[in-house]
Amino acid sequence: MSSSHNEAIVLIGKSLEDCPLDEDEDAFQGLGEEDEEIDQFNDDTFGSGAVDDDWQEAHERLAELEEKLPAAVNEQTGNGERDEMDLLGDHEENLAERLSKMVIENELEDPAIMRAVQTRPVLQTQPGSLNSSIWDGSEVLRRIRGPLLAQEMPTVSVLEYALPQRPPQGPEDDRDLSERALPRRSTSPVIGSPPVKAVPIGTPPKQMSVPSFNQQILCPKPVHVRPPMPPRYPAPYGERMSPNQLCSVPNSSLLGHPFPPSVPPVLSPLQRAQLLGGAQLQPGRMSPSQFARVPGFVGSPLAAMNPKLLQGRVGQMLPPAPGFRAFFSAPPPATPPPPQQHPPGPGPHLQNLRSQAPVFRPDTTHLHPQHRRLLHQRQQQNRNQHRNLNGAGDRGGHRSSHQDHIRKDPYANLMLQREKDWVSKIQMMQLQSTDPYLDDFYYQNYFEKLEKLSAAEEVQGDGPKKERTKLITPQVAKLEHTYKPVQFEGSLGKLTVSSVNNPRKMIDAVVTSRSEDDETKEKQVRDKRRKTLFIIEKTYSLLLDVEDYERRYLLSLEEERPALMDERKHKICCMYDNLRGKLPGQERPSDDHFVQIMCIRKGKRMVARILPFLSTEQAADILMTTARNLPFLIKKDAQDEVLPCLLSPFSLLLYHLPPVTVTSLLQQLMNLPQSAAAPAPSNPHLSAVLQNKFGLSLLLVVLSRGEDLQSSDPASESAQSNPWTEVMFVATRELLRIPQTGLAKPISIPTNLVSLFSRYVDRQKLNLLETKLQLVQGIR
Amino acid sequence: MGLVMPLSVCTFSGFFKSFTSPIHVLIPCSEVTSVICGTLHSVDQYLNIKLTDISVTDPEKYPHMLSVKNCFIRGSVVRYVQLPADEVDTQLLQDAARKEALQQKQ
Repeated sequence: MSSSHNEAIVLIGKSLEDCPLDEDEDAFQGLGEEDEEIDQFNDDTFGSGAVDDDWQEAHERLAELEEKLPAAVNEQTGNGERDEMDLLGDHEENLAERLSKMVIENELEDPAIMRAVQTRPVLQTQPGSLNSSIWDGSEVLRRIRGPLLAQEMPTVSVLEYALPQRPPQGPEDDRDLSERALPRRSTSPVIGSPPVKAVPIGTPPKQMSVPSFNQQILCPKPVHVRPPMPPRYPAPYGERMSPNQLCSVPNSSLLGHPFPPSVPPVLSPLQRAQLLGGAQLQPGRMSPSQFARVPGFVGSPLAAMNPKLLQGRVGQMLPPAPGFRAFFSAPPPATPPPPQQHPPGPGPHLQNLRSQAPVFRPDTTHLHPQHRRLLHQRQQQNRNQHRNLNGAGDRGGHRSSHQDHIRKDPYANLMLQREKDWVSKIQMMQLQSTDPYLDDFYYQNYFEKLEKLSAAEEVQGDGPKKERTKLITPQVAKLEHTYKPVQFEGSLGKLTVSSVNNPRKMIDAVVTSRSEDDETKEKQVRDKRRKTLFIIEKTYSLLLDVEDYERRYLLSLEEERPALMDERKHKICCMYDNLRGKLPGQERPSDDHFVQIMCIRKGKRMVARILPFLSTEQAADILMTTARNLPFLIKKDAQDEVLPCLLSPFSLLLYHLPPVTVTSLLQQLMNLPQSAAAPAPSNPHLSAVLQNKFGLSLLLVVLSRGEDLQSSDPASESAQSNPWTEVMFVATRELLRIPQTGLAKPISIPTNLVSLFSRYVDRQKLNLLETKLQLVQGIR
Repeated sequence: MGLVMPLSVCTFSGFFKSFTSPIHVLIPCSEVTSVICGTLHSVDQYLNIKLTDISVTDPEKYPHMLSVKNCFIRGSVVRYVQLPADEVDTQLLQDAARKEALQQKQ
């Protein structure tokens, strides 16, 4: 190629030099040819070639298309688009095809690119591959009727409900002159040059987004845009069911409980922008925003509406960035909800409700019921306060001032409704979630706990039972799509197409591990602590997983359950191994590992949480180890004082332990000498235990448990030589010896201790013990 | 006043959502620090905070804030946020952070 190029240059040069006179013409011709090309380009751009067409005719053609299109959409989607294409741009279409052939990867899934380019080189209408975006009209999404989810969770596309309804038979009434189709320009395709667009990137779409999309390719074409349609009130029922109505299907698992009619979600102007403000909805679908649009509209005819409302978060129903597909549930049932459930229009209700007090409460449908209750309580309080302060007369004034405010607002209607929709959509896209439990863990669990607490309180108090409404959130199916960067045919090597979803690797970091030669003792200690911390975190993740299994179990299918149980067991074993420091080949693992964990505050909390999951033997082992090392642990706990959290799981465990274990536990706890020989002069172990709140409480619980076991077992009662009895004798002796100073106050005192001690000591010593350990209620 | 905010990956977004009673926000503005107390209206992924019904703890020092009822505070200037202790479950918060870390690793 370069050689021919050179040849051309040489030829021209020759022509100039060798034949200056005769072949000037040739040269000039050569130049003239170039000129011709340039002229052609100029013509194309500015001159007659630019105005190929009478724009009015093109406009009319498009208008005809418009009327054809809605009908066509319902039947066959692809054809409609292609018809348009053929009518309006033959050579553009060829160009598009040519370009699309060049691109190897047809699935341009990078949303950033797609949005920037606004091109659909591949006009496919298979449901599987159509990339949707926020620009798509609702028609496009209705076409996507993908396969059902395995989970049988009907999901909704709120794009359906968010976008204004496309009027199916739209008479072209008010055509804005300014929005006529632009004259067509001829094409000068330069690959890689930025697309020339009639509208800049980022403009919200006009009403007719579907055909305009398919027309816009790299080269501009006349785009017919329809003027905005005025916001409509919900059409009378009879149009096809939206997915939102599918939610009113009785067996839908999305619906938990009927929406409490006492909570009308009326929007404040502040909240409007945050919700899907401009949604034009089918009746039967709850939308607070519908009512918000009517100025002065107060309250809501919610009670009249379909009570089965999605309680979940409104915003979670939006489709995400392109690449995501919204799955619809099964085709709508044959029987639509009864017509009286939807309001004929806001009109008749206005009169009714205007007479009521204007209560602008923000929308709270997306909140957890418990949260909502709290909020409303607070609001009630505030309102009561205001009422007390201002008197009843304020309300009338408030209402009128609000209406004045609406009338005189100079900043109203700066944004069109669809622009507001667009902004809301962008915000709402962030809200969608495939697994709200995971994504919003704190919020969900916090309010669940609150509810449990209040439920527990109510059970105790025998108060009126509140409705246990659960927060049901719609779940959107998330499809895993791996992004593959676009590759072009015929290019040498891979062109780096980097975008926000496919960032370039900037730094090549190599991980190097340090050598272990020059580690000081301090460093070793630090490392050890770090290792312990690391183990704690690992075990914590296991713990969180195990705690989650109950929920997963409920959600899973029958076949999966055994596997889940096995997994859970395995994880529990792993946790125990982590706690005890599993070392192969060692029969008796040392206590050291466990003690290290117990020295750290979160380690203790973790052990307290793990204990219920362990088997009895494992838990008993933990308990014994704790008892053995208790003084050390107490010393380490001086700052944190977290040990008492272990008391309740330990007490619970004690009830499952056999008497033998309890006996040996007592021995460990009190550091009692094995034989009944003369005891050591002092028992620092026991003193330490008794001086600590946790230690003393644990001891008392153990004693109490032992006593329970003893008294409940008639056989052992008679037998004198009982390990427990023996130990008790020694124990009481020890207890009597311990000085009273500095004894801790136990968390709880079991009631049967007096009877316990009365077996083993005489009256005098019993009184002594009672005083010392403050066993009698009155003494404290 | 319900809180509407994105379920972003950040745990703290969800954490902020659960508040119903007023919180204190401490704002530094170069040398000047002011404490604004208000009810949390919304938070976003950058932890920008919108408060309603605000009051400034030191009105004499910042008289210009007397008429302001609602405010939007850019997240980057917030130094502290003081929350009512009884509305915070630290254990749950830790769990949420751990779960999120797990998720990110996966």
